[in-house]
Amino acid sequence: MRGIASVLLASALCVHAVSAHGQTTATPPKTDTTMHMDMPGMEGMSMKMPIPMPAGMPMMPGLVGLAPNVAPFLPGAGVDPMTLPAVKPSSVARLRSGDTLDLTATLVRRTVRGHAFAMYGYNGEVPGPLIRVPQNATIIVRFHNRIDLPSTVHWHGVRLDNKYDGVPDITQEAVPVGGDFVYRVHFPDAGVYWYHPHVREDIEQPMGLFGNMIVDSPDSDYYSPANEEHALMLDDILVNADSLIPFGKEAPDFALMGRVGNVLLVNGEPHYTLAAKNGDVVRFFVTNVASSRTYNLSFGGAPIKVIASGQGRFEHEEMVPSVVLAPAERYVVDVRFDKPGQYAMVNSVQAINHYEGVFEHEVDTLGTISVASAAAKPDLGRQFTALKTNTAVSREIDRYRKYFEKAPDKKLTLTVETNALPLATVQFMSIDTAYFAPVEWVDGMPDMNWLSTGKEVRWILRDDATGKENMNIDWHVKQGSVIKLRIFNDPKSFHPMQHPIHLHGQRMLVIARDGVPTKNLVWKDTAIIPVGSTVDLLIDASNPGAWLLHCHIAEHMGSGMMAVLHVDP
Amino acid sequence: MRLPTGSAYLRTRLSVALLTVGLIGPIGPLDIPLFATPKAPTAQGVAKLVYASSPFGVAVTQDGRARYDVHVTASGLPKPSTVGAYSAYVAWEVTPDLSTWVRLGAVTNGTSIVGSTEMNKFLFVITAEPSATPDKHSGPTILHGTSPSGWLQSFLTHPLFRGVY
Repeated sequence: MRGIASVLLASALCVHAVSAHGQTTATPPKTDTTMHMDMPGMEGMSMKMPIPMPAGMPMMPGLVGLAPNVAPFLPGAGVDPMTLPAVKPSSVARLRSGDTLDLTATLVRRTVRGHAFAMYGYNGEVPGPLIRVPQNATIIVRFHNRIDLPSTVHWHGVRLDNKYDGVPDITQEAVPVGGDFVYRVHFPDAGVYWYHPHVREDIEQPMGLFGNMIVDSPDSDYYSPANEEHALMLDDILVNADSLIPFGKEAPDFALMGRVGNVLLVNGEPHYTLAAKNGDVVRFFVTNVASSRTYNLSFGGAPIKVIASGQGRFEHEEMVPSVVLAPAERYVVDVRFDKPGQYAMVNSVQAINHYEGVFEHEVDTLGTISVASAAAKPDLGRQFTALKTNTAVSREIDRYRKYFEKAPDKKLTLTVETNALPLATVQFMSIDTAYFAPVEWVDGMPDMNWLSTGKEVRWILRDDATGKENMNIDWHVKQGSVIKLRIFNDPKSFHPMQHPIHLHGQRMLVIARDGVPTKNLVWKDTAIIPVGSTVDLLIDASNPGAWLLHCHIAEHMGSGMMAVLHVDP
Repeated sequence: MRLPTGSAYLRTRLSVALLTVGLIGPIGPLDIPLFATPKAPTAQGVAKLVYASSPFGVAVTQDGRARYDVHVTASGLPKPSTVGAYSAYVAWEVTPDLSTWVRLGAVTNGTSIVGSTEMNKFLFVITAEPSATPDKHSGPTILHGTSPSGWLQSFLTHPLFRGVY
């Protein structure tokens, strides 16, 4: 498995060394600020640039002048962005079973804060085409890789045939630059899903390779009625005044907590707008495609009802103050705009100012919903207020309740090991982790984070029973079995942080957190594990194949945090 | 009430500590160790913060503050009447500047879920009170602790930020 791990970690760009013990070897961060400028178009690009720091917070003196121990990489080296086609907004591809879609990853021109950059898109769009299909449809997707990195397409959350799961060296070879691959995607479950690469996600995803899939149930009453439906893909991007912050060429940078952008985007744009009528119930299919950021989304005080996760409906609908989404999570929410006016869609979190030792309320406005005085037709106020109980969901889950109290079949501990980080980082972390937030909502120390790469940081899934880690974990379970997996996020590690754990190709229930049973169950493929928490997952291992289990913080996975669950027929 | 002294006092403290660990296990990352006051020196306990129920697994307010249920496990609490004219022990969450006291709920020996907190940083105080539902605190402090976020320190003047290593 070591070979697979090394390939997954590295991709064709990387020369990331993995020792016999799975430990990465590294040298201390470089102080040579010119670094490796050996690729065409990289001339003048430097890893030494002022990382945007939180307001009022200085870069730690011991870190000034250092740069990550990786060469810089940006898409389209040597290409004038103005020669590239301007990115287009997402189109909708309504497909029937048997239909074929051509999906081409290409370079596109995107403009951020007035500056044009070469980035990526599917079919020239960011997000890529929204694929809308009926439940149980099977479509053919002809993928064409026309970017400057190898790539694949992973159909996140879909319980599809294993060979089309898009994981390099587990289900397929990475599609080389200029190469093609044909996927056959079957959609057994209604819900909202997304597709993205599984090669260097830390680069390809934030640069624009992501798109939604909505699978419609044949039951017209599957969801309560809504006046409108819209997909929201939440993302962020890290920029300076006039440049993108380069990515690590051989390994991810920002390996400690992942790359947290300073420009927040909805559907690839910095300010989302929507026009609605007074009283409209708007259904949002919300997907967090950011590499690391966890969102706390709300809509200017408008009431929010959560009705489904990505993989299906909750046992019962709930009114919520906001919508919390870890990376890769999706939720379906209905929002009622019951007064005319402007509603700010915001991400509202409590940041930690490590410099002053205080919490700070941080609000980013992601968009505006303009509600006209004209009345919504039909008026769905009564249906919105009623909280539907989905007895069909509960009945189906009833088959699994007998497994809730059994002893865990598998146990994982989440932790991290580091080596050769700057002394100032090590000293600061040893003091600062006297307190850690169960969820880090912002990057409070971007200088330390930037300087950490996959060469110095190894994120770990550790099997409690065997002590094996990451790709050396070799779990086999029988198809049709129900597996109770207990995951503990060790708070005593060097850098405790929440992890959104994603299991490919199956579905699971979060049945308990810290010993407290979940009151409102829902099928999921990704679940957040806060620092210090113990979370029990019940996996319906129904789909045969070799399936990746990993943290969906792109830099954490790129720094080793993944394993394979074999579901044997 | 006569306070235990010398070796008897130490034996009492040790046995209470062992009992507490036996009841609640080791102190965890979202635990608030509680400290006794001379009013009831045998009292010990811990308040455990557990995310309140949420469809998202992580419960937060609209402005992003964590919402925790507070599970209190206490031992060695004497009868309230032994510390004065009181009938109950009551848990409060208190802002660090002591300006705001929010009643959570009654505490007894054993484990009680006393309510939910939404404060970023707070002191956790258990007082003896004339009733289990007082409008405001009036009795003596019996146990007290600080939210884990109280460990968050200012590095403004730390040598690390002055380039000293």
